[in-house]
Amino acid sequence: MNEDAGPERAGSATAGGIDEEFDPSRAAAIMQEARERALHELRARYPVVFATWGLALMIGYGAMWLSVLGQHPYTGPTPLSLVALTLLLAAGAVITVVIVGRALTGIGGTSAAQRRVHYLALIAGVVGVFALEGALAHAGASNSLLGVYGATAPMLMTGVVYAASPALWQDWSTRALGAWLVVVAASSAYAGPVGVWGVAGLLAGLGFLAVAVVRRRRDRV
Amino acid sequence: MSDDELDPVIHAPARLRIVVTLSTLAPDEDLSFTRLQDLIGLTPGNLITHLRKLEDAGYVTTVRSGRGVTARTGVSLTASGRTALERYSTALRQLLDGAAEPSGK
Repeated sequence: MNEDAGPERAGSATAGGIDEEFDPSRAAAIMQEARERALHELRARYPVVFATWGLALMIGYGAMWLSVLGQHPYTGPTPLSLVALTLLLAAGAVITVVIVGRALTGIGGTSAAQRRVHYLALIAGVVGVFALEGALAHAGASNSLLGVYGATAPMLMTGVVYAASPALWQDWSTRALGAWLVVVAASSAYAGPVGVWGVAGLLAGLGFLAVAVVRRRRDRV
Repeated sequence: MSDDELDPVIHAPARLRIVVTLSTLAPDEDLSFTRLQDLIGLTPGNLITHLRKLEDAGYVTTVRSGRGVTARTGVSLTASGRTALERYSTALRQLLDGAAEPSGK
C-alpha cells in the first residue's frame, strides 16, 4: 500500500494554493484518526484494570469475610472462599498482563522500561509476601495472625510499590491509590482476623474503583 | 517555508500518520519498526522510504539494537519533529479556519 503522494505531489499547501489531492481537511481527518488509533492501541486500558481489581477485592475479600464471620474461636476461611479469592486474583492478574502487555508491545525507552520494572516489582512482591506467609505458618503462627497477615500484607506491598514507583511519578491518582492501600492495610489490621477481610476488601476495592473512574474521565479528555 | 505553509515533509498521508503516531509516545520512548508498521499499515519498503525522508529532515531517529531474533529497530520522534508537528498543526488550523470564514465583506 502506498497511498502517499510523495513530497513532490504533496506539495506545499498554503492558504493561497491548497493541494486538491491532499487538502487540509483530509489532513486534519488523518491526524485525528491516526492519533485515536495510536492512543487506542498504545495506551493500556487502565480503567478496566483498576475496575477489575476493585471488584476482585470486594468480592474475594467479601467471600473470605463471610466464611469467617461468627467463628468462635477463629479457625480460618473455608477452602471454598480461598479458591474463590485465588481465582478472582488470578483473573485480575491475567487481565492486567493481557491489557498492559498488549499496549506495551513494541514500545522501548526509559518510561516503558520503568513500567516493566514496576510490574516485575509487583510480581516479586506478591511471591515474597506469600512465601513469607508460608514460613510464618511453618514457624507455628496462629490462624488469627495468618488471617490478618494474609489480608493486609499483599495490600501493603502493592500500596508501597504504587506509591513509590518512578513509572507512576506523574500519575497522582495511582500514587494516591498506593498511599490509600498502605493506610487501609495498616488500619484494617486492627479489625482483627474476621473484620480485616470486610474492612480491607471494601475500602481497598472502593479505592481501585475510584481510580478507575478518575482514569476513565482523564482518558476521555 | 513561511508560517502559513504546511511542511511538505509532514504533509503526506503516510508520513503524517507516522509523525502523529510517534507523537503519542513519551519523549523518551520509541516504537519498534514492526509495531509502527502494524499501526500505519504500510509495507516494510514503503515505511523505510518514508522514515528515511523524515530522518533526513531530522524529525525522527531510528536506532538498531540486538542481533538475530533479538534484533530491534526503534523509531522515535525527535524534539525537532515534535516542534515541526506543532507548527504543522497550527498552520493546518489556520488554513481550515480561513477556509471556514465567509469570503469577501
